[in-house]
Amino acid sequence: MNNVAVETKNLVKTFGDIKALNGLSFTVTRGEIFGLIGPNGAGKTTTLRILATLIKPSSGSAKIFGYDVEKNPSEVRRIISYLPEEAGAYKNLSGFEYLEFMANFYHQSPQEGRAAVEEAAKISGLGERLKDRVKTYSKGMNRRLLLARALMMKPKLAILDEPTSGLDVVHAFHVRRIIQEYAKTHGVTVLLSSHNMLEVEFLCNQVALINEGKVIGQGSPHELKSYYGVNNLEDVFMEATKLG
Amino acid sequence: MVKGLSNLISKEIKELLRDPKIMLGMVLMPLITFPLMGAAMNISTSTLEESTRNVSVMIMNLDKGPLAESLLLMLQSMNVTIIETGSSTVEDALVDLSQSNTTTLVVIPQGFSQNLTLGLRAKIIVYSVFESLSLAEGIRSSAVEVPINLYKNALVTQAIRQAFPDRDPLAVLDPISISNVAVVKGKIVNVSSDILRSLFMSQSLGFPLVIMLLLVSAMQIAATSISIEKEEKTLETLLTVPISRLGILTGKLAGSVVVAAAGAIASIIGVNYYINSFNQMIPTQNISLEDLGLSMTPLSYGLLGVMIFVTIVSALALAIIVAAFSENVRSAQALVGPLNFIFIFPSLILMFTDIQMLPYPIQIVLYAIPYTHSIIATKAAFLGDYFTMLISIAYVSAFTIAVLYIAARIFTTEKIVTARISFKKLKIRKP
Repeated sequence: MNNVAVETKNLVKTFGDIKALNGLSFTVTRGEIFGLIGPNGAGKTTTLRILATLIKPSSGSAKIFGYDVEKNPSEVRRIISYLPEEAGAYKNLSGFEYLEFMANFYHQSPQEGRAAVEEAAKISGLGERLKDRVKTYSKGMNRRLLLARALMMKPKLAILDEPTSGLDVVHAFHVRRIIQEYAKTHGVTVLLSSHNMLEVEFLCNQVALINEGKVIGQGSPHELKSYYGVNNLEDVFMEATKLG
Repeated sequence: MVKGLSNLISKEIKELLRDPKIMLGMVLMPLITFPLMGAAMNISTSTLEESTRNVSVMIMNLDKGPLAESLLLMLQSMNVTIIETGSSTVEDALVDLSQSNTTTLVVIPQGFSQNLTLGLRAKIIVYSVFESLSLAEGIRSSAVEVPINLYKNALVTQAIRQAFPDRDPLAVLDPISISNVAVVKGKIVNVSSDILRSLFMSQSLGFPLVIMLLLVSAMQIAATSISIEKEEKTLETLLTVPISRLGILTGKLAGSVVVAAAGAIASIIGVNYYINSFNQMIPTQNISLEDLGLSMTPLSYGLLGVMIFVTIVSALALAIIVAAFSENVRSAQALVGPLNFIFIFPSLILMFTDIQMLPYPIQIVLYAIPYTHSIIATKAAFLGDYFTMLISIAYVSAFTIAVLYIAARIFTTEKIVTARISFKKLKIRKP
């Protein structure tokens, strides 16, 4: 059985004169939480958007569980869920209605759909507030709803772009705990990007350091710290990029 | 696919109808505004009718002769209320008038009866007080002239009878009678051309207006449905769920059609109420289009339905293309606004004229605009001109297919995610 969840080879993406990705390659193993870290503009979001079938690479290839994102986007969409960094939910729907709407795309029977929504209600921890319209939610509540949406259908791969971006300590803690528990319990492979090195160190089994559209280092947080002889991932990143 | 599509359509309808901007602007506004305008028109019309029905005049009879008395009797016989003033000068009489409920003073000068008896011209002076600049004021002031003119006619007829006892006074007064006969669809119709002209006028104003309203609202709705996804950052998530991009496009179009239809029905109800109020002032309401052979056949209805459908779909697809390049609802509406010109322009022109009557270059421009054909087809539907309708449908359908193809191309590529129009540089940029 192939154990590879994500495989990118020499990914290049250009927007006009800008080269967002410049030969990016990495591999994610099934069941792990894999973190992409790098400064702004390094190419993290572009990579995740290519894997989520939103945009196409200019060259190179990307496969998810063996499906090529360019050639088989429909198959890829069936097994992934994507949480963009700046995502929102439909403001005029209630939390429940939003979850039902999203669940209906994945589940064949109403029972399956209901079960997914119940699961999402548990993940979000929003309780009775799910009956209220989304426009009344705080940013933290909104993010929890969206994360619950991304995980409720138990995707084979969850692609999470800055999952705790802009959240306070309490909400960020809740979101991290959900990701960790869900990956462990349901064997969901998670590919996330983050600026928060502590978060990455806490959550991820494997990390890829990205700079200027390329992977400049990959390994477990422990391996990377040992290799560079430093105490935390922040120092690893500064050493690897020689930005410090 | 079907399940995903129905899921998307029901969400679209729910979202759009819960959006206060859409609910207020597209559905409630026409339902409230047009009937209010109609009610205002009705109140004005009934006030006008009331004021012309109950004409009252102040009479200053300085003549007191038999013909002055017979004039007063004639006025009374025509339900004109007479208030006689005892004042001997016009200034005093006007003071009396200002204290009464009437605004018209009729002065019959001394010698009125004597002049008429001697075959000389007599004189009557009508003073009308204008208190406001309303239409009712003008009509009310001239209302008293109707019975006076009838009295004049009676005097003329009597004089002709005396001078030419063996001749018909009407043949002397009006030796040539003109009768207008209308020919509609090759058949002689027993209705005056003037009345038919008024009827056609009300119809030709109504249809382009309704089509214009329908398209303006449909385009705003479609543009909003895409741009709101961008503004609220929901589009990227939607594009990664297991439904094809064409499915999403179809769902957006279908949801917008349903909401636009609700808006159109609201507009039609409102406009209908408004036009009916308007028609009460035109003496055409008792004419049936069926009697004139201008009623719609089932085939006309069917073709008109197809025409309206392809017209709406093309307008929606056009709005979606434009909205795909916007970053938020406001910029989408700003981009869609100028597009309205392509159906407002033909609608306004064709409200007041026939396309064949226009100069050749303008005809070419109008024929090139697809929405001109939508209006031409609605007019042709009433005349049972199926050939014109089919040509119009073919043209608009070809345009619709082209627009849908472009919309589908945008949706199936990454342009839907990456393309933006930068207002600063007025060019398409990518992030």
